[in-house]
Amino acid sequence: MNAALEAEGLVKRYGARTAVENLSFSVPKGSIYGVLGPNGAGKSSTLRMLVGVLRPTAGRIAMFGAPLSRSSMQRVGYLPEERGLYRSMTARGAIGYLARLKGVSAATAFARADELLDGHGLGAVKRKKIKTLSKGMAQKVQVLSALAHEPDLIIFDEPFSGLDPVNQRVLEETIRAQAQAGRTVLFSTHVMEHAERLCDRILLIVKGRKAFEGGVSEALALAPSVAVLETEGEYDLAAALAAHNFAVAADGAEHGNRRWRVRLENGRDSRQLLQACVEMGAPLSLFEPARASLHEAFVTLAGEEARGPE
Amino acid sequence: MKLSPILLVARRDYLAYVGAWGFWISLLTAPLILAILIFAPVLLARAEPPRDLVIIAERVADEAVVAAAFRASARRDARAEIAAYINTAAPSATGAVLSAFDEAPDSEAAIMAARETVRVEAPGVLRAFPQPSPRYRLIEPEGDLDIETLRPRLTGGDNALYGALNIRRDEDGAPLIEYWSINLSQDEPLNVARTTMRLVMQREALAAQGLDPREADRLNGFEARVAQYDPRAGADEGEVTLRQRAPFFAALALAFVLWSVVFSVANMLLNGMIEEKSNKILDTLLTSVRPMELLAGKLLGVAAVSITLFSFWAALGGALAGMAADGADESILGQIAAAFLDPRLLAAFGIGFFFGYIIYGAIFLALGSLCESIQEAQTLLGPVAMVLAVPMVLVAPALDNPNAPIIEGASWIPLFTPFLMLVRAPVGLGWGEIAGMGALMLATAIVILVVAARVFRAGVVDQLNLTTLRARRKG
Repeated sequence: MNAALEAEGLVKRYGARTAVENLSFSVPKGSIYGVLGPNGAGKSSTLRMLVGVLRPTAGRIAMFGAPLSRSSMQRVGYLPEERGLYRSMTARGAIGYLARLKGVSAATAFARADELLDGHGLGAVKRKKIKTLSKGMAQKVQVLSALAHEPDLIIFDEPFSGLDPVNQRVLEETIRAQAQAGRTVLFSTHVMEHAERLCDRILLIVKGRKAFEGGVSEALALAPSVAVLETEGEYDLAAALAAHNFAVAADGAEHGNRRWRVRLENGRDSRQLLQACVEMGAPLSLFEPARASLHEAFVTLAGEEARGPE
Repeated sequence: MKLSPILLVARRDYLAYVGAWGFWISLLTAPLILAILIFAPVLLARAEPPRDLVIIAERVADEAVVAAAFRASARRDARAEIAAYINTAAPSATGAVLSAFDEAPDSEAAIMAARETVRVEAPGVLRAFPQPSPRYRLIEPEGDLDIETLRPRLTGGDNALYGALNIRRDEDGAPLIEYWSINLSQDEPLNVARTTMRLVMQREALAAQGLDPREADRLNGFEARVAQYDPRAGADEGEVTLRQRAPFFAALALAFVLWSVVFSVANMLLNGMIEEKSNKILDTLLTSVRPMELLAGKLLGVAAVSITLFSFWAALGGALAGMAADGADESILGQIAAAFLDPRLLAAFGIGFFFGYIIYGAIFLALGSLCESIQEAQTLLGPVAMVLAVPMVLVAPALDNPNAPIIEGASWIPLFTPFLMLVRAPVGLGWGEIAGMGALMLATAIVILVVAARVFRAGVVDQLNLTTLRARRKG
């Protein structure tokens, strides 16, 4: 049994509205698994069903090879999308309390709370009330509260939202460290860069349905290659290449040069693109074939409706 | 040590409440407010200086007899105040103190005589011995006064008067009493004068029939001996005294305490629930605790808060009663304290609190789970508050006639039972009826818990709230 979590035919309806439709996927043990999708795709509903907060309208969930139960849920650390802790509790008290609810003894729960807070630079504020902490600190405390009972499966819903770039980097390191410790991490995001840097496998949800499930490299392989070009002065490469049927998008300007991103679709490659530029006498200062990003894979897989995120 | 999720939720809520300023304010202010309600009228009466009153009368005899009535009234009030004090503070000295009071020729001498007796009989309670002062001080009119002359003093200014009685006689000799005062809601002086002058008129009429005025006074002094008895089997034989009436006062006090505690702790639950919803903590909790466990833990936690309040108040009340009276068995406080220990009353209170708390607590929690803010909650609370007000409205008529059909019927309506069962307990509510009402409340509590759990689950898990409910209704 290699899956920490399996979902089969999950459906969630709110009245007449369907949030999740026939969703099946499997999260391998010890992997970092990303659930991607634009806002309103059904990610949070899916995660809330996985942790037993929401009852599926239909479908089956197996955690550690068995249906959801109190004992399996005690092995899960969950960070909800809408975050919050008791404002009048101390950071230490909040972490200890939530660990105790997961079945950890009082002594162990508070010892781990101390250890985690000290280890994440919050030792000085561990006896301060949550309401006196900054938003970033409170968010860190909540992340730690999901880890204090040393769960085998960690489920984070949009964990990076609201964090500054430094703390986003710290959280990425935390997620990697948990995976290296043999734990399974599943998180949802609509920011592709995090998923691209962290995930072993991804699930792409669009309008409640699965659009893709597989490894990150498999997803990238499905996306068209791109090339990054720079032209001197006000030269309009998009207009010039339109006749050659290349999809060109302006990508900003640098040092008086204009930057372009060209998608190499329909069997076209970078050699053909370079040839077209030379034929038109385009004043190139940079020509750089690039690997497709997960964002481009996402757009390709999800279609135009997924252009919203990022 | 590992605790079950219910106990952990209860413990956290309990510690959160008792750690808040509001809890300590409630703990300390409730007895303070009760003490103010009990003692404020007495203290205010003592603090108020005597009210200056002028009696103007065409006949000197009329003025003298009305003035004597005011003096007699002041003496009765002083005796009652001293009797209440000594009966509470040193019951064994009551007889000697009141005898000394009664033997003295006037009110001032009577108070002094009572004080001296206390100095000898119970010196320990002399320090707090009351200093009764007359409610009205009669001001001697200077020369021939009339209302027009007194009008400036009656409307304030220097040497202001509380009021003036103007007693005249018509052409047939019948008294005509005018009472002049700006204190329009208070007509006690007029009533004293009217009662006194009625006796004067009777005496004059009897004298006109040739009866000796002393005989007329003797006839006016006739009074039947009255005695009240309790016919119930098992009731104390002999006259009904404070000992028998005390359970009614105890029941009333307990009903009030129960009502205010149920209402305030149910409000705690509501506010706590709304706080958790607005703090977005519920999703985190629900991965460890089932909705029903969360509901039960919250009910248990706040129940522990109210038990803490009760324990503190009971201990404080017991300690104060113990300090206030030696030999509490014989004192008024002792009799009232004994009334609180009546098994039926205690059973009614225990059952009423347990089920009343569960019923109202579950309703308030369920309502709280549907609200995102206090403002939203207030729109839902209106009807519940009106239902809760009904038993308090019925308490006064219930005390007057606890077996009236409407009171008996209302006491079987589970939402009112906790309070009305208490008020009916002293009139001999049998154990069978108490058990029946308990069973009815148990059934109601189960139904309400099941419904509340569903609403609670819809509120906390499915995030149902007033806005989504309205949208569904429109849709």
